Amino acid sequence: MHSILAVDDSASMRQMVAFTLKNAGFNVVEAVDGQDAWEKSGQRDFDLVLTDQNMPRMDGISLTKKLRENPKFKSTPILILTTESSDSMKQAGRAAGATGWLVKPFDPAKLIEVIGKVIR
Amino acid sequence: MGDMTTEGASISAGIDLSQFYQVFFEEAGENLDNMEQLLLNVNVEAADDEELNAIFRCAHSIKGGAATFGFGDVAELTHQMETLLDKLRRHELQPNAAMVDVLLQSGDALRAQLGRHQGSGGDVIDTTDLLVNIKRFVEGGGAPAATPAPQAAAAPAAAKPAPAPAAAAASATKPGTRLLEMQVGPLTDLSLADNLVELFKEITDLGTIEPLDAGQSSDGMRRFKVLTSSTDNDLLDLFTFHVAREQVKLTPLGPGFGFYDGAPGAPPAEAPSADPGYGFFDEAPGMPAGAAAPAAEAAPVAADAAIVPTRPATPAKAESKPAAMDQTTLRVSIEKVDQLINLVGELVITQAMLAQNSRDVDPALYQQLTSGLADLERNTRDLQESVMSIRMIPMATVFNRFPRMLRDLAAKLGKKVELVTQGEATELDKSLVEKITDPLTHLVRNSCDHGIEMPADRLARGKPEQGTITLVASHQGGSIVIEVRDDGRGLNREKLIKKAREKGIDAPDTMTDAECWSLIFAPGFSTADVVTDVSGRGVGMDVVKKNITSLGGTVEIDSAEGYGMKVSVRLPLTLAIMDGMSVGVGDECYILPLSSVVESFQVQSNTIKTVAGSGRVVEVRDEYMPVIELERVFDVPRFDFEHVSSIMVVVEAEGGRVALLVDELLGQQQVVVKNLEANYRKVNDVSGATIMGDGRVALILDVGSLVRRSRH
Repeated sequence: MHSILAVDDSASMRQMVAFTLKNAGFNVVEAVDGQDAWEKSGQRDFDLVLTDQNMPRMDGISLTKKLRENPKFKSTPILILTTESSDSMKQAGRAAGATGWLVKPFDPAKLIEVIGKVIR
Repeated sequence: MGDMTTEGASISAGIDLSQFYQVFFEEAGENLDNMEQLLLNVNVEAADDEELNAIFRCAHSIKGGAATFGFGDVAELTHQMETLLDKLRRHELQPNAAMVDVLLQSGDALRAQLGRHQGSGGDVIDTTDLLVNIKRFVEGGGAPAATPAPQAAAAPAAAKPAPAPAAAAASATKPGTRLLEMQVGPLTDLSLADNLVELFKEITDLGTIEPLDAGQSSDGMRRFKVLTSSTDNDLLDLFTFHVAREQVKLTPLGPGFGFYDGAPGAPPAEAPSADPGYGFFDEAPGMPAGAAAPAAEAAPVAADAAIVPTRPATPAKAESKPAAMDQTTLRVSIEKVDQLINLVGELVITQAMLAQNSRDVDPALYQQLTSGLADLERNTRDLQESVMSIRMIPMATVFNRFPRMLRDLAAKLGKKVELVTQGEATELDKSLVEKITDPLTHLVRNSCDHGIEMPADRLARGKPEQGTITLVASHQGGSIVIEVRDDGRGLNREKLIKKAREKGIDAPDTMTDAECWSLIFAPGFSTADVVTDVSGRGVGMDVVKKNITSLGGTVEIDSAEGYGMKVSVRLPLTLAIMDGMSVGVGDECYILPLSSVVESFQVQSNTIKTVAGSGRVVEVRDEYMPVIELERVFDVPRFDFEHVSSIMVVVEAEGGRVALLVDELLGQQQVVVKNLEANYRKVNDVSGATIMGDGRVALILDVGSLVRRSRH
């Protein structure tokens, strides 16, 4: 079973994402912000990281950068959830080493669809 | 599809989104509270980056959830707020008080909207003015990316960049605006659909449209990509001038995601027909095998990172707390907690019964049993304390609503008021917190309206221009004391007495100050010369007093004319458990709230005197107080006619004292308060009942009512 690290500071979004992914047969670990995710990423491996962009303590871009520095996550797909699909955000995502982005709001079906593209 | 801006499709991929609504509502409520707090504290002249960021994040977070869960109106308003806040935190605009006002009002509107979605009813919240106002601020700052056509901004449309080609339009996909695929047809003349394109050019706020099929069609259908903030219905209504309603089909368009080519984990490149709303970065790590040489490309990507300017993560101190809270708190329905408390209450009674029944057991013979019972007693007590503490919440939840209220109120009255709060961490039972909120609100309003003078008056009196209202909460014994203090004009003794006499209230000149101040608790008593919109509407201090008394609390007033006034509210910490003193009268047992007991003593029959017309009094240290014989109050049957009750218990309530004549003092214990009214009916002079260790029911006396009885 694939494991996904779902990072979002909003409890409702996190619940929605986690529920959707579990429902789709993934193993989900939740983190409340980048810092929490970073700590959790040290404890185990993940097949995919799904992170919100704007979070307290550590945002999604910084988390992505940090994860990429770790050989363990060198080629793990990292998707950034964002309401800002501006080019500057996309550039920042690319520069940080993210795999892709997903614009909020999205619905569960879309989430599964996108994840299906990177995890097989 | 229906009306997607108000209620989105709540089921997707077999998942019912409505199951997350409650969490979203609570989270949004917390964010709104937090935002309000931050807005009230923000110093517009020198706003702190961190604060602005934190405020931005509140709006941002609500917007994200609202858009996801389909609360379009909430998403639209928060989106506008976010646009303004974004400019503020980027220093593209300078914050000012008017902006803070409009943001606070928006917060109120959001609360109302969320309340509506939660089913509290009410009309649709009209946010048109707010949206226009916020927009004006956003544009007024002369920001480079001003939104187009402010003159046509009457319709509450979300900010959009100028109509643009595919990439730019898609990047503006924001809640409030939606990306739709519009299918028109089958059409006999495909050019008919071009009329629709014209519509979008004519109506500034409608949004953007662009053909998806490059104007080519093989099946008589035309397809367009539409970016709009209008509802499906509005769009369809507009289109009916050109195309029959049935011929137009609107579906959400666009995956809303993307991958970077070559990024690790990204799928093989797809033809980006329309910006899907998601994406993968080229050559980024995580790309699947299909993508070209991902591993080798990882290094250049990292190099890129150094060049591309990313906004540094700004750690917001204020925000780290909610996040941490989230991990360590658990939301439980209040019913579950109440059931737990009830069960513990039963357990306490059972334990007390066991303790009582085993009193005669010989500890030498049943050593294990007695030590087990001792353990049970200790564990029961600990359990009870722990369970009761679940319901305890800090007074901050009440205090936090006052800064905003006072700010609005002071502005309305043209006064300058500062609010100081102390002891916010003091904990109180949740049900009491809810019930004390209204009386406290009333007291604070009163202080601001009647207490604090106009700035000019204050200066004339040699006081600082700005008045101060202080809220203090503290634990005192088994009670919580909440004080509302102001440094305003205070109460005027003569005025009060004069007013009381006008109202036909008996007010002798010999009244003590305390008695005089408490005149304002008389029904219909208002000292305000002018009845203002704020207070003095007839619902006065009498209601405040009644509400507090019904919670088992007391109110006291202290005042010095010209210097201010202090109202002290004393409340029990919880309504469920009470420290009581049990007294015996005949075969009956009654419980007195320990907090109201002043002293008890053996009485000499010669110290009880009968005063013509007002019953009996007892002399205690040169002071006379009314005597109440519980035996008579409750018609306790007595068969020992020789008996003379000889113990006095002095109790105090509502500023008065009475001496209760009882047979014996049985002891002190914690009692679990049961509502008598709910289980039987209202009984005069009784506030509740409890079950004693021996299984008997004992009545808990309403001391306030006994004191009142002595006054008549």
